[in-house]
Amino acid sequence: MTTATPPTLRIAAGVDALAGVRAFVREQLARVGADEETTADFVQAVDELVCNIVEHGYAGAPGSIEIAFLETPDELAFRIRDEAPPFDPTAVPEPPLHVPLRERKLGGMGVHLARSLTDGFDHRILPSGGNEVTVRKRRGTAREATDGHHDRSTER
Amino acid sequence: MDITTDRPSADVAVIGLTGELDGSNFEDVIAAGRTARDGGARRIVLDLSGLSYMGSSGLVAIHSIALLLAGKEPTSPEDGWQAIHEVSQSVGDGDPGVILVGPGASVQRVLDRSGMSELFPVHPDRAAALGAATT
Repeated sequence: MTTATPPTLRIAAGVDALAGVRAFVREQLARVGADEETTADFVQAVDELVCNIVEHGYAGAPGSIEIAFLETPDELAFRIRDEAPPFDPTAVPEPPLHVPLRERKLGGMGVHLARSLTDGFDHRILPSGGNEVTVRKRRGTAREATDGHHDRSTER
Repeated sequence: MDITTDRPSADVAVIGLTGELDGSNFEDVIAAGRTARDGGARRIVLDLSGLSYMGSSGLVAIHSIALLLAGKEPTSPEDGWQAIHEVSQSVGDGDPGVILVGPGASVQRVLDRSGMSELFPVHPDRAAALGAATT
């Protein structure tokens, strides 16, 4: 990733900030000329992950969330940092797609969407405490519109 | 997000949503569904054609309204996903009572990838949905 300070949005954790988060994502992707599908995928993925932090990470308690846009020649990414108790969204299991829908436990749908719409995300505990989740998409590889899930990236 | 409610007949309500449906306002949608249910609606047409974005919170809203129509009470928003699990079990074999209208591409994608479009009928426009709602 670049060494310069990336474009960053810092918000007070709250659902009222979600619209601003989506606007930030759209603005950054428009600046680099990302296509409509890439933009829609990132908007959804970042919104779901930030919403999870607000509702489950901080669970209504005050806190801050920082969203940074990272770009390399090969990929686009958003890095989301919080100061909430440790939570690893990459450990949320995939919905068991072979189980009939009405018997399926539907928890973790936001994480499932974030995962299925991107080329992978990773999580680490920050040295200062808190979480860092980075959600990535390779440049120039449109996701299949009909594929509900795909192999997860193992890159770190 | 703007919410409008029309009552084309005594037992049908049409709730129209315009804007972005997310974690900040999905409870408003549930409240509109509750009001319609309390006002006698047995079926609710949710017009999604004006939505430019729907987060997974919107799925909680849809299922919560289905739960209300089934005479059940949604659990608290913090338990939203457990509520969805309950609803999907309770309505899976029957008429969910909720009819969806006109989702745009991004909203349709959320419905598809979550499996929700298998649980709820989706119609292209209000006229088709109302035809289904009154049969």
